[in-house]
Amino acid sequence: MALAAGEVSRLRTTVASLRLAVLQFMADPQWLVPSMIAPVIFGLVSFELFRGAGPYFLTYAILGAGMMSMWGQTLYGSGWATGQDRVFGTLEPTIQSPSPYLYVVLGRILWNIVIGLVGGGIVYGVVVVAAGGPPALPNPALFVVLFLFVMVTLASVGVLFAAAYVYTRYAGFIQNIGEFAFYVGTGCMFPVILLPFWTNPIALLFPPTWALDALRYVSIPGYTGFGWGWQVDLVGAVVSTAVYAGIAGGIFHRVERHVLEVGNLSEY
Amino acid sequence: MALANPTTVPHPQFWRTMWANALLAPRTTLGFMRIDFVLGTVFVIPLTQMVFFAFVVTLGGGGASDVAYVALGNAVATVTYSSVFSVCQTTDSEKQQGTMEHLLVSPAGRFALYFGRGFIPILISLATVTVGLTYAALFFGVTIPVATLPELAVSVVLTAFAMVGFGLLLGGVALYLRTSIILGNIFLFIGLLLSGVNFPLSSLPPVLQWIGDGYPLTWGLAAIRASISGEAFGSLALLWAAVAFSGVVSLGLAMGCWEYFERRALSTGSIARF
Repeated sequence: MALAAGEVSRLRTTVASLRLAVLQFMADPQWLVPSMIAPVIFGLVSFELFRGAGPYFLTYAILGAGMMSMWGQTLYGSGWATGQDRVFGTLEPTIQSPSPYLYVVLGRILWNIVIGLVGGGIVYGVVVVAAGGPPALPNPALFVVLFLFVMVTLASVGVLFAAAYVYTRYAGFIQNIGEFAFYVGTGCMFPVILLPFWTNPIALLFPPTWALDALRYVSIPGYTGFGWGWQVDLVGAVVSTAVYAGIAGGIFHRVERHVLEVGNLSEY
Repeated sequence: MALANPTTVPHPQFWRTMWANALLAPRTTLGFMRIDFVLGTVFVIPLTQMVFFAFVVTLGGGGASDVAYVALGNAVATVTYSSVFSVCQTTDSEKQQGTMEHLLVSPAGRFALYFGRGFIPILISLATVTVGLTYAALFFGVTIPVATLPELAVSVVLTAFAMVGFGLLLGGVALYLRTSIILGNIFLFIGLLLSGVNFPLSSLPPVLQWIGDGYPLTWGLAAIRASISGEAFGSLALLWAAVAFSGVVSLGLAMGCWEYFERRALSTGSIARF
């Protein structure tokens, strides 16, 4: 059905944004490399530090490194895209267009999820080759499902950050400086319960913290994470992801209105 | 004053070129290093990186000495953010800002030009390592005897110089690349694996050890560890010589790269593309 004048198809916007993201990636696929170097190295360093600690510590290294890679693609990809829009001068026309910016970002994030999974797979391959074999997984099917879900939780953080990045000129600063803080805070390479207790409530504000804890419960026998077990972790992850998505939608709506009123969008 | 020979090109003084670049770089090619970025690099990144690896070691069953080893290594390794990653990106900045062509036809001495550009990163590197070492002593059980501070200071300064030299080398190579981001990212983190930051170099396969030996951070970190442990002056002097040598070689190779790629740029006219 043809759209009436002034109507905007959200699906069409998302698909167009996704298509553009794919084309941009195909034109310059080298950008997959920078966000994978750190995870690969961190995975190998952790593997070396865990050497001799037990058979399931390889899973820690792979999960942590994989998550870092996915985090890099999801957050950097989404946040950086907004920053690049600002630098190239395309943010203003995009925001001024009738299509809600949320769906433009959503298309990018969908592609970043795909690339994040590719990156996670490559990191997995490198660490497994270095370790001489894959980790033992008690429940591979559940592991895969939860691994995909971790990606969704990361995307929910990515979309929230992307919304905030429209507002700020400091996206690069937040990403660079906050990178390790996020790795520590969400316990991507070690259980959050190892951190001081006062940090745990803060860590639980992030959906990936819940999802990673659940993932470790099903993949590492004898794992000691949050005492409530992986089922509650999963519920927490779903709820917090939904909250993030809701907040992101609200922020996008507000940010779009605000930057159009103030007119300082292109400053950087 | 009129030139005696119209074909003679006046070459600006070395110091003037160097200082002009040192002062202007933070506003131009190093413009991305705003004050918030610098403060984050100096105060936040060392702490979070050290905490991250300290907990990884703890999870792997490491004791207090292992945590101290890793904390010290990462305190020094954070020098790469300002010395390698930032300096390496100056080439990208020149290309993106459209100043590369003007730079290539400038008569200014290249060594003064590039060394001046690395001056502020050297200062930031010194600050980063100093803050990192302070964190290591305060929070991670690293003991730094007061008596070793002079040797430690020499090691830190040499490491900062050598690492900035290496950053300039990558900047030289990046002249030929579309972007230096990949190169910068590789050498931002490769030291964590190949320079004895988190575990002794001897636990790596020989080939990786040789690669690690080619990286100034390896020698700088070895000198800093030796300084803190109070090693004899003779062995320390050897390590200092190795750090200085790696820095001089990096700088020499950087100049070679620039000269070679500049010549190519002038003959093809395509170097400013990105």
